Amino acid sequence: MAPETELSNLHRADGSATYTHHGYSIIGAVNGPIEVPRRDELPEEATIEVNVRPAAGVGSPKDRQLETLVHNTLRSIILTRSIPRTLVQITLQIRSLPEEAASTGVNPSIAILPHLLHTSLLALLSASIPLSTILTSVLVAIPAAHTQPSTPLLSPTANDLVRAKSIKSVHVFAFSGDKKLLLNESDGVFSYEEWEEACEMAEEACCREKGGVGLAEGMDVDGQSRNLEEWLREVVKEKVAYEQRWKTAT
Amino acid sequence: MASTQPPAALSFPRPIFAAVSPHPFLHAHLTTAPPSKPSHALRANGRTAHDFRTPSIHTGSLTHSNGSAVVRLGNTSVVCGVRAEILKEEDVSGTAEYADAEQQRDGDDADGDDMEELDSLRLLVPNVELSTGSTPQHIPGSAPSAFAQTLVTRLRALLLSTRLVRAADLRILHAPLDTAEQDSDGAAQNQLKAYWTLYIDTFFISLDGNAFDAAWLAILAALQDTLLPRAFWDDDLEMVLCSDVPGEARRLQLRGLPVASTFAVFEGADKGADAGGDAEQQGPGSWVLSDPDAFEESVCSESVCVVVDCGTAAKGKGKGKGAVVRRMEKNGGGVVGREEMKGLVKRAVERWGVVEAVLGGNA
Repeated sequence: MAPETELSNLHRADGSATYTHHGYSIIGAVNGPIEVPRRDELPEEATIEVNVRPAAGVGSPKDRQLETLVHNTLRSIILTRSIPRTLVQITLQIRSLPEEAASTGVNPSIAILPHLLHTSLLALLSASIPLSTILTSVLVAIPAAHTQPSTPLLSPTANDLVRAKSIKSVHVFAFSGDKKLLLNESDGVFSYEEWEEACEMAEEACCREKGGVGLAEGMDVDGQSRNLEEWLREVVKEKVAYEQRWKTAT
Repeated sequence: MASTQPPAALSFPRPIFAAVSPHPFLHAHLTTAPPSKPSHALRANGRTAHDFRTPSIHTGSLTHSNGSAVVRLGNTSVVCGVRAEILKEEDVSGTAEYADAEQQRDGDDADGDDMEELDSLRLLVPNVELSTGSTPQHIPGSAPSAFAQTLVTRLRALLLSTRLVRAADLRILHAPLDTAEQDSDGAAQNQLKAYWTLYIDTFFISLDGNAFDAAWLAILAALQDTLLPRAFWDDDLEMVLCSDVPGEARRLQLRGLPVASTFAVFEGADKGADAGGDAEQQGPGSWVLSDPDAFEESVCSESVCVVVDCGTAAKGKGKGKGAVVRRMEKNGGGVVGREEMKGLVKRAVERWGVVEAVLGGNA
């Protein structure tokens, strides 16, 4: 099941997106380029501010860590040099988490990271912030060897993780449009070979070439036949087509 | 006058060049190596790209804590103190199942899954403080910065995911004498009376880059040094008492020795030069610097952190090479890909040997 998205659904923000996938629901809003407080101003590039708001309660150090990760990743794709001395403010409000999220035994910050990245990217696209590339991100979990499905789980739901019981390691990968590894967070016990396998799998799910070998087999985990990059393009295409419906009709 | 020299090309003394244009400064350093040996290029701090700073560790210097360590990594110096406090069982709920788990445990089972217990009861409480004046970026008197909060979250996540501390070490059990006789199966039914909670405070005296490695090393050394007094339940007083006999105190049995290695990626081509960028992957245009200092961190946006543990693997597999990766973090850019990561894991394994020797020589 591909993520459900809605673009530009908040009217007061410059750009916004609502994203729902596997029980995670996040609203992202982007304001920018706007005036930057003097203290944060950078003479040659734009300041990026990321705020992550949890579903319940006030922000904790965990959210600061997520903010730092999202900030570092977005800084590498936003063309900050083309809008110097401005501020791009990204607010990510987590609306809901899957019910089983607490009992998966997986670091919850790692599990939510791909969703936060997708939301922020869609909101940035919606706000027309200059970007050098896009990014796609996916979670890969490697179950412990003694449990039944020992193949890595691609983009597992919280329920999948609970059913797999003991997860040996979890990995989050984010790839840019030109297939560079932008972000990786891996946790657990694993060897380099396992990591490489997971990385390959993630790369295939994120930005596999059209007509590649993986088209027929695999991918049944999600029931999706497209990769995430195609999904992203589709989402934006639909939105643009909708906005241009008057122009194209005449 | 005739004796005045012709004006030389505009040049600055070193520190001014570094302050005015840090990026070209480091680039100039890295590109002045002989072309035959590009790996011999020196960074601004005199190390080659693959050189780590050798840590120096001093343990047990704080008398009022249960374990402590001072770690110096170049100009980064960190003090870590571990303080154990007793958490009474009646103050926390839902610990009954952990007491049962204790019954089933056979000796020092290395794979005991006690992370949930440590996590939900918050038995490990790391904290990071950047002291006033430790770094120019730190403004005193304000709330902990995003940097400090991120650091403490990463440290806590690593403490839990590596399962370094055994929950069994932190449980304070009691075997009641009278019920043991009544018990039909004869085995003394151990009761869980309290927990030790470890407050792990890390204090940066000075910060010259690579805060994570230094803090983690300090925590590791301090935990190795931690000595918990024997605690027991006194039936008459109905409270937990601690024995003041030093001989009865015991050390924590840590699982493995995970060592963190941080790398910063320096991109030669200035990002601002042109956005499209003829960026050849990991060509001569980018360097992966081990153990970056504060100046290098300020000009590098991409960073990689690899945590490896070679000790447990050597035992488990019998093969010498099997290093286990416990954590991998990479963000901020796209230079390090799958191939480069392989080299970094290798560098982290080499680093593990150095740190292990320093820690071993100390203990």
